Amino acid sequence: MGTLVQSASHSAEFEQLLAKAQAARSSIIDMAARETGCHIGGSLSVIDLLIGAYAKYHQDANTSIVLSKGHSAAALYAALYQYGILSDDPAASYGGADSLFTGHPNPKLPGIPFATGSLGHGVAYAAGWALGQKLLRTSGLGIAIGGDGELQEGLCWETAQLVQAKGITNFIYAVDCNGGQNDGLLADISPLPNLRERFEAFGFQVKEIDGHDLGQIIAALEPDGEKPLAILAHTVKGKGVAAIEGNPHAHYAKISEKIALKWKRGLQ
Amino acid sequence: MSSLAAREAYKDELTKLAADNGNIICLEADLGGKEHPFQQSYPDRFFNLGIAELASVDIAAGLSKAGFVPFFSTFASFAALRAAEGVKLALGYMGENIKIVAAYGGVSGGWFGTTHHCLEDIAVIQTFQNIRIACPHGEAETRRVVQEAAASKEPYYIRLSRNDKFDSLARDESSSCRELLFEGAVRSDAPLCLVSIGEQATEICSRIYQENERVNHAHLCYVDRDSLKGYKAELQAAAGTFLVVEEHRAAGGTASSLALLLPESQVYSHDCGEQWPIYGGSHADVLHYLGFGYEALTRQIAELGGDDNDF
Repeated sequence: MGTLVQSASHSAEFEQLLAKAQAARSSIIDMAARETGCHIGGSLSVIDLLIGAYAKYHQDANTSIVLSKGHSAAALYAALYQYGILSDDPAASYGGADSLFTGHPNPKLPGIPFATGSLGHGVAYAAGWALGQKLLRTSGLGIAIGGDGELQEGLCWETAQLVQAKGITNFIYAVDCNGGQNDGLLADISPLPNLRERFEAFGFQVKEIDGHDLGQIIAALEPDGEKPLAILAHTVKGKGVAAIEGNPHAHYAKISEKIALKWKRGLQ
Repeated sequence: MSSLAAREAYKDELTKLAADNGNIICLEADLGGKEHPFQQSYPDRFFNLGIAELASVDIAAGLSKAGFVPFFSTFASFAALRAAEGVKLALGYMGENIKIVAAYGGVSGGWFGTTHHCLEDIAVIQTFQNIRIACPHGEAETRRVVQEAAASKEPYYIRLSRNDKFDSLARDESSSCRELLFEGAVRSDAPLCLVSIGEQATEICSRIYQENERVNHAHLCYVDRDSLKGYKAELQAAAGTFLVVEEHRAAGGTASSLALLLPESQVYSHDCGEQWPIYGGSHADVLHYLGFGYEALTRQIAELGGDDNDF
């Protein structure tokens, strides 16, 4: 993937990646237009992180990627579909009766290693996977893709403590920092001051990136082997859909097919 | 030679098993004690994860997914209650090959107080389904259960007491602890069958069995729903009335499960009631306060039998 980063805006491979992200966004919008609606705001903010992570590691059997902020299942399904890990189009049945595409990641589907949704579990799961790879002496990683709202859960910090204590350096915690949570803005509900310093205090290497720049994402997803890695990916809730970008109330939405068509045409 | 307490038997047996099974991982939550034999023999596969029970269960899930067989030990109250969501997801729902070894079951914490007692764990774990639940009695049975857990791909919850030492009931070496164990010969004319679960209950029932020729004594080591279903026919053949003796609350206890499985039978419970154990004292003292024990059980048996002792 080195070439992908070096010629980020030029290579055909990178263009394909951008196309995957765009197609996934379109799929997320279609899922929001299902009867159930979906967690669209956080799905659109995290999708680039997911596309980047799977671009880099989905063919590495020793690396496990888990979406810990499981309410963004629509994004996970869309990404897995783009990479052929899921063969069925999630937008065709998301949330429906007899559909495995439930509102939070369904481990009965391929590519989903843990039932996340209640927040923080995916972080500890990924740490356990990483510890297992250390014991097996592989080069595999445990990658948790979580959210800044999720960091209000004590479990995340229990895990950070253990990752440091047990020297689990093959661990990446990529945080989708979109600043929102279910009922509004983190800043209004339970802010996370000094987040970089917090992770550094737990012994992490910290990288802050634009969470919608695939070149930055792919370059960042590389631990140094000396410390566990926290990526603070600054994102925008609802990214790509002008009507909801940055709107904390776009956490969950159910839209009409007409609106979905309009939003898909306007994808930025 | 005196027996080992179940907690010590667990540590010793797991260490032995790890010699031939390199996939076994031993996880502790700062309650395994110093000079843990597993740590001394296999330091690379031993992790004291500290006081982080919920994270520990999820970390065990990651290890299980990577092909390992993690045994995670802490106190029952913390495993079944504090880490309950992880147990539900990783063991119950996803069926990960994780073995939880929960000491301080019931009120074996004695004077440690109510925070360290757990009279609700079987109910909680039973509710999650798909988890094999074992309550071994004595060193030999504990060792056998640990062996069975290590050989199985099923998630396990193994409930132990604190430091009491008991000799196990005699069990055929070729039989699994999954099999119902009757003490001595089954008395065909006994109207009542005592059903014991766990160490204190089994000790009491064994004493009464020795003294009272009108009872049978069935000891259950495994009490998850699937295991209980397997006992149904044998229990029905032993008596028509059952008195389940368990160091647990009635709600969600084994008596309630058996009552549903044996609708034609009378199923009664000798349990720890509904009070909170607020006083100190030994394990036996706290049980006595809760109305659980030999004398109380003897009275209950007499009351069940009526004046003519006809159950």
